[in-house]
Amino acid sequence: MSGPRVAVVQFPGVNCETESVRALERVGLEAEVFRWTRPASELRAYEAYLLPGGWSYQDRVRAGALAAKDPLVDVLAEEADRGKPVIGICNGAQVLVEAGLVPDHGHVELALARNRMTDRGGYYARWIYARVESSPCVFTRHLEPGTVLPLPIAHGEGRFTSEDPERMPALLRAGQVPLRYAHPDGTAAENFPANPNGAQAAAAAVCNSRGNVLAMMPHPERAQDLGALARDIGGPWSERREQAMATGQADAEGPGLALFHGLKRHLEG
Amino acid sequence: MAARKETRKVAQAWIELKADDLEAASALEVARGQLAAGQHLQRLRRIRLIELEGRLPAREKLEDLLHGSTQFYNPHKERCVVRLTAEESPPLQAGERAVLVTERDGSRRAAAERWWQHETGEKVSVREGTAWALTFDSGAESATAHDLALVRGRRHGLLCNPHSQECRWAEDHVPVPWIQPDGAVSEAAPVRRRSPSTRSKR
Repeated sequence: MSGPRVAVVQFPGVNCETESVRALERVGLEAEVFRWTRPASELRAYEAYLLPGGWSYQDRVRAGALAAKDPLVDVLAEEADRGKPVIGICNGAQVLVEAGLVPDHGHVELALARNRMTDRGGYYARWIYARVESSPCVFTRHLEPGTVLPLPIAHGEGRFTSEDPERMPALLRAGQVPLRYAHPDGTAAENFPANPNGAQAAAAAVCNSRGNVLAMMPHPERAQDLGALARDIGGPWSERREQAMATGQADAEGPGLALFHGLKRHLEG
Repeated sequence: MAARKETRKVAQAWIELKADDLEAASALEVARGQLAAGQHLQRLRRIRLIELEGRLPAREKLEDLLHGSTQFYNPHKERCVVRLTAEESPPLQAGERAVLVTERDGSRRAAAERWWQHETGEKVSVREGTAWALTFDSGAESATAHDLALVRGRRHGLLCNPHSQECRWAEDHVPVPWIQPDGAVSEAAPVRRRSPSTRSKR
């Protein structure tokens, strides 16, 4: 394989690196795990970066807080400034938010706070629907706004929030919320469980204004196989899943790969 | 019949690991190695602070109840100091500065409240935060501690993200109560946090 090279950056405690590499390779990109023990400067040799899910540094102090201070993130920030794409998934999103790489490089303007749910709290895992919004985001801009992707979430701290109540609505208006929690029909979901954590503006993902850095809480790499979709998912993806299962093609392409295709299209210009 | 006298009180439980606290060790390492405000940080301790408010029993019974459930602490791994008034000393050492970090609208512990009601018949509120005790070189200024606590950027602040958390410094004394009441109730039961490796990966 000889596509553009993507580094899957692994901090200690990260545990979604293998399936992330597989998702990148399935769309024709060259991907490898880049461990925290390597010199940070070696990151510059890659064309894009993925921060996978897990529990970097065991969530000590706060999810993503310690990894955000890691010298590797300094290099990621510099490369992102040069326009290279960076995607953080779940814990990777927490790192990007704590590092201030989203919504824009510099100050920390957001938090991924503890889930806020009806009559319960803590860790929560389920399939949700994410609606694609009009955005400069390089991972989603090839998708028609309004497209609905079923994706899994699994987190305890995934609520995009800001102490400035106007910040998240402003990001939505600016096209920096490329994915929103939605109902199966595509209408935005403000309430639990369709909005599984109480995120402001129903944000499932936030990108920087340039669109090359994306922090998203759902796991697209876990939705790369049609056979992995939850059985109660409705709509066209359900039909595709049933068809794939009936023909013994459980590993046929699932909805999560759409974001990786977006990255490939961007890298190939 | 005489009216039942209301004796609403607040109690603080200061809970600290007996063994080395790896979370505090990591925070100290990152603060000293990566943050300008952490250059003068000599020592960092993490203490879980639980506050109970309501009709509470006398100290001995209160301590027994706290000792009896890992909803509060694990006596095999942690030590607990109870304070009932601001005149009682918190377990802070000379020269330490203490900052309390709480989740905004998320400090209540519903499971602990249910346990307490089951055991005692009393409805109390249980709140939790993290008290960080910081020791700086003698030359460090007060502003350094504040810079270290409050996250503003990748190289500024560590202990409190102001977009989801509150932090309060103890100045001359630590008040009782110290945690600001809020209405939100969290189900999180942090005392017996399972190892990340035993939870579903995310």
